Formats: sequence, structure tokens, C-alpha cells
Amino acid sequence: MFQVKWIWKNLEGCRKRYVFGLFSTILLAILSLGNSLIISNIMDTVFNPIQESGIVTEEARSRLIMLVSILIGFTFFRTSFQYLSTITYEACSQKLVYKLRRDIYANMQAQDSLFYSRNRIGDLMTRLTGDMDMVRHATAWVLPQMLDCVFMFTAASVCFLVINWQFALSLLVITPIIFLLTKSFAKTAHPLFIQIRERLSELNTNAQENIAGNRVVKAFAREEYEEKQFDEKNKSYHDANIKANMKWMQFSPYIEGFSQSLSVAVLLVGGLFLIQGRITIGQFTLFNGLSWTLSNPMRMIGMLINDMQRFFASANKVIELFYARSTIVSREDALKLEDGKIKGDIEFRGASLKIDKKEVLKDINLKINKGETVAIMGPTGSGKTSLVNLIPRMMDVGKGKVLIDGESVSLYNLKELRSCIGIATQDVFLFSDTVDGNIAYGDSKLPEEKVKEFAKMAAVDFAEKLSDGFDTLIGERGTGLSGGQKQRIALARALAVRPSILILDDTTSAVDMETEKYIQNQLDSLDFECTKVIVAQRISTTKRADRIVILNEGEIVDIGTHEELIARPGYYREVYCLQNGIQEEQVG
Amino acid sequence: MARNRFDVDERLESPFNIKHLMRAGVYLKNYSGKMILSLVLSLLSAITGLLGPLMVQRALNVAVPEKDVKQLILLAVALLVSIAVSVWLATWRSRIMIVVGQDIIYDIRTDLFSHLQKLSFQFYDDRPHGKILTRVINYVNGVSDALSNGIINFVLEIFNLIIIAIFMFICNVQLAFIVIAGVPVFLIVVFLLKNAQRKSWQDVSNKSSNLNAYLHESLEGMKITQVFTREEENAEIFDKLNMKYRKSWMKAQYTSKLIQFFVDNIATWVVGTMYIVGLMLLGPAMQIGTLIAIASYAWRFWQPILQLSNLYNTFINAVAYLERIFELLDEPIQVDDEKDAIELPPITGQVTFEDVTFSYDGKMNILEHFDLQVKKGESIALVGPTGAGKTTVVNLLSRFYNINEGRLLLDEYDIAKVTLHSLRSQVGIMLQDSFIFSGTIMDNIRYGKLDATDEQVMQAAKTVCAHEFIVEMEKGYETEVNERGSRLSQGQKQLIALARTLLSDPSILILDEATSSIDAKTERQLQAGIQALLKGRTSFIIAHRLSTIKNSDKILYIANKGIAEIGSHDELLAKQGLYWQLYTSQLEE
Repeated sequence: MFQVKWIWKNLEGCRKRYVFGLFSTILLAILSLGNSLIISNIMDTVFNPIQESGIVTEEARSRLIMLVSILIGFTFFRTSFQYLSTITYEACSQKLVYKLRRDIYANMQAQDSLFYSRNRIGDLMTRLTGDMDMVRHATAWVLPQMLDCVFMFTAASVCFLVINWQFALSLLVITPIIFLLTKSFAKTAHPLFIQIRERLSELNTNAQENIAGNRVVKAFAREEYEEKQFDEKNKSYHDANIKANMKWMQFSPYIEGFSQSLSVAVLLVGGLFLIQGRITIGQFTLFNGLSWTLSNPMRMIGMLINDMQRFFASANKVIELFYARSTIVSREDALKLEDGKIKGDIEFRGASLKIDKKEVLKDINLKINKGETVAIMGPTGSGKTSLVNLIPRMMDVGKGKVLIDGESVSLYNLKELRSCIGIATQDVFLFSDTVDGNIAYGDSKLPEEKVKEFAKMAAVDFAEKLSDGFDTLIGERGTGLSGGQKQRIALARALAVRPSILILDDTTSAVDMETEKYIQNQLDSLDFECTKVIVAQRISTTKRADRIVILNEGEIVDIGTHEELIARPGYYREVYCLQNGIQEEQVG
Repeated sequence: MARNRFDVDERLESPFNIKHLMRAGVYLKNYSGKMILSLVLSLLSAITGLLGPLMVQRALNVAVPEKDVKQLILLAVALLVSIAVSVWLATWRSRIMIVVGQDIIYDIRTDLFSHLQKLSFQFYDDRPHGKILTRVINYVNGVSDALSNGIINFVLEIFNLIIIAIFMFICNVQLAFIVIAGVPVFLIVVFLLKNAQRKSWQDVSNKSSNLNAYLHESLEGMKITQVFTREEENAEIFDKLNMKYRKSWMKAQYTSKLIQFFVDNIATWVVGTMYIVGLMLLGPAMQIGTLIAIASYAWRFWQPILQLSNLYNTFINAVAYLERIFELLDEPIQVDDEKDAIELPPITGQVTFEDVTFSYDGKMNILEHFDLQVKKGESIALVGPTGAGKTTVVNLLSRFYNINEGRLLLDEYDIAKVTLHSLRSQVGIMLQDSFIFSGTIMDNIRYGKLDATDEQVMQAAKTVCAHEFIVEMEKGYETEVNERGSRLSQGQKQLIALARTLLSDPSILILDEATSSIDAKTERQLQAGIQALLKGRTSFIIAHRLSTIKNSDKILYIANKGIAEIGSHDELLAKQGLYWQLYTSQLEE
């Protein structure tokens, strides 16, 4: 029941209204008998005497008018109240999910990269849409409906039993059967509904990947294979749907049949009792009119129980996100930066990092002075990206320390720290916004001239030629642009925050040589002081660095300037020769 | 389906265009027999289901006053039978239509998907992928019910309405007229509210899709948001979208929930009036059984009208969905097999560009009068400034685009005259962005040759130096990977993609920036493997690193819509032209 408590906690500010809603539902369940009671009274006190006596008295007329007025007035009151009650539920549940969404969104923004490597975006989306809707559905509909069912059924049973217990029992005898049937259906159908959900998600993934990988599909002429794969998923989703629906068809005729047969019982038993004079015609009308108040709750309760189960499952998924805690957070007594800027000294002191039990970085010792340009090189998987990720605390070290301006990065306020660091990552992600909006992502108040200035530095001049210039919308993941173009926008974005530390993680790999050279010149003449950490594979990118750090299997194996490194045998020289197509013997 | 941002509503309101509905008829054709049968079953079920109040009327008017127990029992049995028959017929219909509905979804989706396979790169580049996906999955689901059950229910509800009216008139003509008199009032209220309701629900759906689009993108770009400390601003944007959604939802609720309110009240007014007028007009002649029966019908009479107005909304939405689905199906296929296309027989790998002119948009030519002869087994490197058309040249080889003028021949075969499948399975291309499918590493490499054995896959991985890092992963080749979130580095992804391409064993091999993220040392080891593979194969290589380029037989410097320089590394250096400039600028200092 933790889920219920959790909902209650988050209903804060709306609790009184919600409880009011619950009470009104109980009241309404009882009031729903009202119409039938009034009509029954009309039959007994107006029409039956007339039929028996054959005379329409003035008294009967005025009584009918009075009762009909009561009926209309009562209905108006009841339906208004009903309206108020449902709106209350909607308002409360909306407030609830609004708050949950807001809080979870904030919480998602605080999660570290470990969280995102563990949770797939698709799954997070399902939790925040489908599962969240189940939470809403449960508070706005399932719970009130359950109350409604229980109280309506109880009220009707009591009412029937009071009027004529034998007649009442003849109806109630059928209801447990319906109840058992629905319950049994809910139980057998549960796994089938889960199956539908899974198959839909498979179908979704399949189509999504096919669309995302369309170039590869075409390059390998795998259209037929893809169609076959999709057909399998499509078919199995199709089958799962049919299976679940057919399962319902095994139960529904009986549930429907039994609940409708209440009217047969009313006709037969009621008719007999009428003949024997044990009930009045008004009471017969009442039973006839109210038989649904017995069968409906029976029909519904099984489905509601099923919904409730789904709610518990969904709520758990949402709660996990609600309470997920990142290990990378600011300390409460975080250092305050004077004038909001760091100077830009970086030091790794015995820094080690493990990801999934694999040692990615081992005892890294490295000092980078402010204003320095340091290049990091090394084979694929040697830990270059992990190393630079430690600076803005995208990850935290396992052992050792990372210091900025002589203080451990964990002592800074996380946001202040990161706002002083500009980073352009390997895997370029651009938002579906204009080119201008993407460049100004880190500082949305940046004036347009400034945006263009930074764009120029990063060679984003091609933007002028796009259909709407800098106001051209670019798609998710920057589709429509070439790899090099995306990288240049990402670079402009990183420069636009005028960072004290600039991290370029293989940012120019898809940029041609001449453009790269231009960019390097621009980077050398920035009008603000900036420490640059550049991860690269190309000598052309690294050779102008003040120092070059060579990483291998998570360890620093060599440090030096371009000249120093080509003067001695090692990784750098090999790469240098390789890239320039010279034999190693010819060097030095 | 133009470019669209998260805060732009997608218009889902379109004039009710019967054309789309007619066109959807194609999908119903195969099921017309079943649908007609279902309709008949439904009608029969509706009639039998509505007999109940008539039985009650007869019981109260005849059996009870005459104290005829036998007739009462007979009536009860008849009622039971009518219920049983009605439920049985309804179940039969449902069983048929469940399958039909799902079959239609399946059919439309299959058509959409196979059409998607034929569409060009351009199509995918121009639109957010999420929006294509929505059409294939959600819209198709949305349409199916309107097409299958919607049409049947539409007929059925009209029929229901008529039957109930007839039964009411059988019960009592005067009283029936009173009920019918309530219809205009009811209709006006319902259609006004439904109209408002439909609009407000469309607003809800727009606001929800905006919210979700933003959420999705936020999650995808979370790392960027965090390093640029945009959290607060994003939270504000999200909060606005969140609030808009909540407001639109509440607005929709205010009108939607009013409908039940009006239905209940109008129905009560009508029944109350009926009692009073019945008493005034008929006096003692009115029988209680009749009154009860006609009241039962009166309560039920409003349901079909309500249902019809619901269906009307369903159709409006379905037509809007259909419009989008058909728009996708009508998307012209740019590159397709010619009618008399032949299978390209195994080629030796000779490539000829004959006076090729090409432009993406029909306005600005990327290549003009491009001529090139490549002998079999030759390796060609393409260099030149970004945007000069290097990638275009190799894309034309795989016929990802049709050339505007001139011919492109592989051996003696014009690539425009052979089937795409036979062409592309002999031209192996490794693209700039290496895409990883979710699945095992083994499956990802095997994508290049579906019937490859595990050994062949591993051999390919060894050739491209990927074997080492793969076996180091927790489950080796069986490690599950996917495009995002997996721990593969860019370089590792490229190695896997490279292995995939090599496994496909093409006659012509194209490497478009295939090794940009691979470190130089691995690349050198790779060179040996690649060299072995290039042997006997024609190859085209685009690269920024000169080391990759130098050993090629011929180097093409692409600029100004054509080949600016051509020759071997040494020849071009001797020429001291563009290539020489490029080379020395890289070597300098």
C-alpha cells in the first residue's frame, strides 16, 4: 500500500477536495436509487389507484405533477452534484500528475550518466507517459468507481431486502456468479494485456530502428529482410490483440447473459409476487428499474480490480523515478565562486575510475595550468572521454581527486562549476530548434550578433546558406546536416558560454583539414582566457597543443610537446608517421 | 509533414473529406463479406435485445391482471431465450470483427512499412523520425476501429434508433410522440457539446504530444543540458508545457462531463412530461405495463443518438489520421526499379561515369559533366573541400539518387537498368554515421551477410581489429548493444560497421569517412586487413587523413562540380596543385 501513501503525500493541497469527492461518490451511489424510488411512488400512488378505480381524480393529477417536479428537481440536483464530483476528481488528479511530472522532470535533470546508461530513453518515456497515465486513471476513475460500485450495490441490496427480502434474494443469488466470472477473467486476461504491451513495444522499437537506420538498410539492400522482421512483429502484435480479445469473448457472453437475465428473474418472480399480491406494482417498477444497480457493479468490479493491479505495477515504475537519487550532487556547504568564474587550473591527483567493474582510468596524475592547451590521444577505448568527463563531474572519480583551481571539484556548486566549462562531445546532439537557438543553448539571452560571432569562429558560415539562415529549424539529432556541420554547431555552442575550460572531445573528426585549421586559428585567438582540453585522433589537431598526453588502457603513458614526442619512439611517433605516410626511420 | 518543433501544434482538424474514407475502402474490400455478415448479426441481436420491455408490458398488462402464471412463465422463458439469442449473436459478431479490425491494422501497417523501405534518404532527413513513427504505429491503430467497427456501428445505431422508435409506437402512439418531441432539443445540445468536445480533445492531444516531444528530446539531450547548466530554463519550458496540457485537459473535461448532465436531465424531463401528458390525454385508459415499457424504451432512446455523435467524432479523427497515412503512402518513390530492370550479374568491378550531371534539388548542380573511368581492382581516393560532392559521387554509385544526365556503368551495365537489390548487394558502402541495431554484436555484424556462420563473423571482426575489444566485453559476441546508451565508443561502433561491410563481400567497396573516429594505431593494424580486402576489389575511399589516402592507385580532387585533379599521390605532388597544397598544409611545421 506504499503506492497509495505516496499518492496521498503528493496530493498535498488537494487532499480536502479529494476526500470531499470520495464522500460525494458514496452519497451519489445512494442517491442513484432516488429516481427509481420516486417513479415507484408515482406508480403506487397515482397510476395504480387510477387503473384500479378507473377514475382520474384532481388529487391524483396534482400529486403526479408534484412528484414529477420532485423527480426533475432531484435529477437536476443529483446530476449537478455528479458533475461537481467528477470535476473534483479530474482537477485533483491533474494537479497530482502535474506535480509528479514537474518533480520527476527536475529529478531526471539531476541524474548522472550512470542512470542514463542503465535506463533506456524508450523505457523512461513509457514510465512518464503510459505509467503516469495509469496513476492519473487510478485516482480520477478507478478508485471512485470502486467506491461507487460497492456503495451502489450495498444500497440497492439493502433497499431491496427492506422492501421484499424474498424477491431481493432471488436477484442476489445470480450476482456472485457474475462476480466470480469477471474476477476469473481479470486474472486470466492480466498476462495477455501485459503481452500486448510488450509486443507493441517490440513493434515500436523495430520500426523506430528501421527509420533511424534507413541508410544502413539501403546500403545493404536489406529491405526484404527488414520487411520480414517487421512482419513478424506486426503479426505477433496482431495475434496478441486477437488473443486477449478472444479471451474476453469466452467470458463476456456469460457475464452479459447472466447480468441481463436479472430482468428475467424480475419478470418471473416479480410477476408471481404481483399475482400473489405480495408486492405492489410500484415495487415491481422499482425492482425492474433498479436491477442494473446490482448487475453493473458486478460486471465492473472484476475490471476495476484488474485496473488496480495495473495501477500498482505502474505506480512502482513511476515511484522509482521519483525517488531516484544521483550520487553527483552539490554539497550544501559548496564553495561560492567569486565573480562566478573559475580560473581554469585543472589537476588530476591519483584519479581512478571504474565503470561496471572495469577499470577505465588508473591513477591519473596530471596538472593543467590555466590558459594551457592540452591534447589527449590514445587508442580506442583507452579512457579519453572518461578522463574529460571527470572535469565537469559528468562522472565522479572512484579513488583520487580532480581539482580545479586547487580545490576538489566536489566542493563546488555543481551548476556554477559546469557553467564555467564548455564542452563539445563526440556524439553530437542538436536540439530541434533553430541554428541560432542551438548555438545559444547555454545562454539563451545571447544577442544575435554574438551568436553569429561564435558561429564564425566555429566555421558555421554554412548556416547562412540554409533556407532560413540562422533561423532554419534543424531536426532531432541534427538530421539534414552532415557530420562535420553538426560538429561545428556543437563547437559554436560550447564557445558561446565563454568558458574558462573548453573541452573538445573529438569534435572535429568529421571536419575537413582546411576548415579545421581555420578553427584552430580561431581558438588560438579567443578574446577570453580559456584552458583547452582536446581529445583527438589526428596529429593535425594535436600538434599545436602545449602538451600532448598519451593514454593507454586508462593510464598516462607519455606526456610532451609535439616535438618532444616525435623525437622519441612511442605511440605518438607511430601515429605521426602513419598519418603523414612516412617511415619511422626517417624522423628526427 | 514539414519540420516541426516541440511547441508547434500539429493540425489535426481537416474538413471532413469523404475521399479519404472512400480510399480506405480498399482495405475493407477483402473483408466486405465478413462485415456484411456482422451487420446482419448485429441487427438481429439488436432486435432480440430490445424485446425485453415488450415482454414486461405484456406481463403487466395481461398475465398479472389475469393471474395467468403459465403465461408469465412463458414470457419469462421467451425473455430468457431472447437474451440468450441476442448475446450469442452479439458475441458472434464481435468474434468476427475482432479479427477483421486487427487484420486491417496489419494490412495498412504492412503497406506503410514496405513503402517506407523504398523512400529516399532525403525523406528521412527532412522530418523528425518520431513523427514518421507515430504514423506507422499510433495513427494506424486509431484508424482501424473507425473503419471496422465504426462503419458497422454507424449503421447499427441508426437501425437501433428506428427499432426503438417502432417499439415505442407499438407500445403507445401518443406517448411515443412525446418522446420523439424531445429529440430536437437533445440533438441540438449534443451536437453543440460534441463539437466543442472534439475541438478541446484535439487540443489535449496536441498539448500532450508537445509535452512528450519536449520530454523525449530533453531525455535524449540530457548530457548537453547538464554540461550547459540549462536545467532551470528547461524546467521552466517544461512547466509551461505541463501547465498547458493540464489546462487543456481540464477544459476538455468541463465540456465532456456536461454531456452526461444534459442527457440525464433531458431524459428525465421527457419521461416526466410523458407521465403527465399520458395522464391528461389517456386518463384511466392508460395501462401501467405500457407506461413502464415505454419509459424503458425512452431511457434507451438517447443512447443511439449519443453513440452516433461519438461516431461522428471518431470519423472526423479517423479521416484526419487517414489523410496523414495516405500522405505517407503517396510520398513518391524517387529511386525504384525500372519496369524491365534486370538482375545485375556478378560484376568484375569496372566503373564508368559518362558525362554525369547531378543535382539534389534540380536547381544547383553538384556535379556537372562528370567523367571517370575506374578499372577493376583499382583503389580510388576522393579528397576536396566539404560540400564539394565527394559523398555524392559514391552515393550515386549505389543509386541512392538518380542522376539527371549521363550514365553510370558497372562493367557494361547501366545502373539505372538493373534492380536495386542486385546492384546494392554488390556495392558495399560504409557510411559516415555507423548505425548499430539493438541486438547482439554478432547480429550486428551478420547484418552484412545474413547466412554467415559465427566463424565468418569472427573472421571479419578479426580483419578489422574489432575482435579484441569484442571478446573483452562481458558476453563477447553475444553482448547486447544498441544505438544509444550502449557503452561502445564511436570508434568501436565504426569497427563493427566496418566488419559488417566486409562480411557482405562486395565487388565494389566504398568507405565514406569510415575510420574517422578510429585511433591511428588501430587504423594501421586495420590497413593490413583492409589492404587484403581491397585486393581484387574496386574501392572508393573518402577520408580526411592523408595516411589513408596516400596508398590509393588514384586520387581525385573534387572541386567545382567535377574533378579538379586526378592522379597518383606522387603525380599530384609533382604537379604542385590543389592536392599538393592540401598535403603540405597538413605536413607543414
